[in-house]
Amino acid sequence: MKREHLLIILILAALVAWPLLMGDYAVSQANRAMIYALAALSFSLLAGRLGWFSLCQTTFAGISGYTIAILGVRFGLPFPLVILLALLFTTLSAVIFGLLTLRSRQVSFLMLTLALGQMVWALSFQWVDVTGGYNGIAGVRMPVYGGLDLNDTHVFYGLIATVTVAIFLAVWRLYRSPFGLLLLGIQENEQRMRALGHPVYLARFTAFVLAGVIAGVAGVFLVYDMGIMSPSPLGLGHAVWVLTAAVLGGYRSLLGPALGVAVLIALETLVAQYTDRHMMVIGLVLLLSILLMPRGLADVFEQHFKRKSKPQASVTTTTRGKEP
Amino acid sequence: MKYAKKLIIGGMSAMSLGATVHLQADDTIRVGVIGPTTGVFSFFGEQQRMGVELAKEELAERLAELNLEVEFYDSQGDAETTVDRLRAMESRDDIDLVVGPVLGGTGLAGLEWAKSSGMPMVISYSAPEDITMRDRTENVVRAGWTGAQPMFAFGEYVAKELGHKRIVMVGQDYSFPYNQAGGFMKTFCRAGGESVERIWHPTGTSDYSSILATLPDGDAVLYNGAGSDGLAFFQQYHDFGIDARMPLLGGSNFFAVGNLPEMGERAIGGLSALQYAEGLETDTFLAFRDAFMAMHGEEVVPLAPAEHGYVAFKMAVNAFESANGDDRDAVIAALRETEMPDAPRGPFHLDEYGNPVQNIYVNEVQEVDGRLVNVPIETYENVSQFGPFDAEEYLAGDPDSRDFPPSDCSDPYYD
Repeated sequence: MKREHLLIILILAALVAWPLLMGDYAVSQANRAMIYALAALSFSLLAGRLGWFSLCQTTFAGISGYTIAILGVRFGLPFPLVILLALLFTTLSAVIFGLLTLRSRQVSFLMLTLALGQMVWALSFQWVDVTGGYNGIAGVRMPVYGGLDLNDTHVFYGLIATVTVAIFLAVWRLYRSPFGLLLLGIQENEQRMRALGHPVYLARFTAFVLAGVIAGVAGVFLVYDMGIMSPSPLGLGHAVWVLTAAVLGGYRSLLGPALGVAVLIALETLVAQYTDRHMMVIGLVLLLSILLMPRGLADVFEQHFKRKSKPQASVTTTTRGKEP
Repeated sequence: MKYAKKLIIGGMSAMSLGATVHLQADDTIRVGVIGPTTGVFSFFGEQQRMGVELAKEELAERLAELNLEVEFYDSQGDAETTVDRLRAMESRDDIDLVVGPVLGGTGLAGLEWAKSSGMPMVISYSAPEDITMRDRTENVVRAGWTGAQPMFAFGEYVAKELGHKRIVMVGQDYSFPYNQAGGFMKTFCRAGGESVERIWHPTGTSDYSSILATLPDGDAVLYNGAGSDGLAFFQQYHDFGIDARMPLLGGSNFFAVGNLPEMGERAIGGLSALQYAEGLETDTFLAFRDAFMAMHGEEVVPLAPAEHGYVAFKMAVNAFESANGDDRDAVIAALRETEMPDAPRGPFHLDEYGNPVQNIYVNEVQEVDGRLVNVPIETYENVSQFGPFDAEEYLAGDPDSRDFPPSDCSDPYYD
């Protein structure tokens, strides 16, 4: 059995054990962690493969959340249909944003996604008739199917965990596919990839839309987890939080973003119990870990793993990218 | 296999770390207080916290009798964080009642959570009217106010006492000011007003020259907003010399104590309305103010969020006493029966929807002992969240928005 399969089995075992061993609050924390792990994965797909740092991935989550809130609560459309429409609408937004940002790179890409994200945030805040403005739209709930309340923390956990694992596995395959390698190649040397006849723009565009859809899935869970959709998840603060988590965990690896999110949420919860100055403590931890582990937590694990084992392609390794 | 072993050990230790939940004995009653004690709005959360601390000290003996403990939580002013902390209160910390949240958006998020949880909740300063109106739920009551509530009194005052007919209203473009505008217009128009022209600007605007240069004519201008936007508007309004042409009235938070020193003498005479005034002279208020300042320092004036936190906590303690313990239904029933004859802001009781029926003060900025303070010059007693209107009719109407109610007072809506 390969080591990476062992790792997958361990992660699955931990995910199954968590709700059995832990209290309700820990389960609801895990729900949040998985939602943000998806958002951070969406960020890392662009940052790690293409070197594109996006500040609008939480915006896609927000667009998807608002679609569900508006169609579900205002128009009363049935439950599975709103999710489908939300993902469709998010894909459409990602296509539009993708076309707008296609030719930009690095700083200009960052600024464009910042501008787009802030525009949608302002829209959600000010288009009161549709979005409810600052107050948002309340009462976003999943249905009860024959006694099974999908809003129940544990049932909800099952749903999120299944979808999250499926998406991570899919992205794992994607990273190792020719398409994933092409993305890395574009980051390394775009000219050469073009000279080799690869459709560079198409590949980048596809990656952008894919990342948008992943964020959209995160948005679906986000809105049902909160029960209310308001502009706050679309704010710059949340976008930066996701970026921080991805960098902390290591955005070049597959599991890095999830690791970063888990560590950040655990830190916030544990430290906030003892002091109001928790932001300072977290800031200090971030500072130290970025100074000592510039490639993220996941990289430290990987190096450790590699030293102990025979050289072999690992689940999470991509060492080709340059330092940011 | 060493790697796997480490992973297993690491995973187990992470889980046991997470599993160190508070194992607490069950005869203790726990109250969780939530507000933004960090972030941009930390002022409001800190005020609430200080109010609760004062109440805690004053009621120390009764708390010991009840075996009641208080824990403070930081909402960071964020809806999602609020919901997360509320979940921690319920399933991790065994909290029996929540005081807060403080801000509008976090209040609505908290309400949504409370609906599914059933936890008794006393919302303090958070003012969206639907918390105790269209979205009300049995286990949530409010110690504070709705955005429209003080403005019902102010609209009538401006039309009847000041005799203004046409008001130009400049305000921040979000739901709290809409609600304030709605309350104002509904009484102003029915008390002899002719029109209220609304001009909305995005929050965070610092340059008002384009608005001020094209300001329509009226009998007075009402700035419907607060904070740094309000301060900038105030200064530019005077720089443009418009104060000589039209007096400037304020929304409930416009002449806030924090902004008065910077507004300076030009603020004297400024009128606004609130269920609170730091210049109240009643015995209960003076006792509250002096105790508060003795506890938290002479420079810290207690404002409405502090008083609302103080009162919300007292409501909770009273409810636990009359319920004789922490039985949820009994506590909720007791909360809904709340009567506060001796609240610092003045007597109030809850209406059947769970919002205070209370005094509204029309406040004037005056200089008292070298300090600018809001002094009540007119009191409207027993104002409910529906103002002078019938509750069922009010609830059947549309909620206030950017352009509702209509600007023109001759509109059939006002008949």
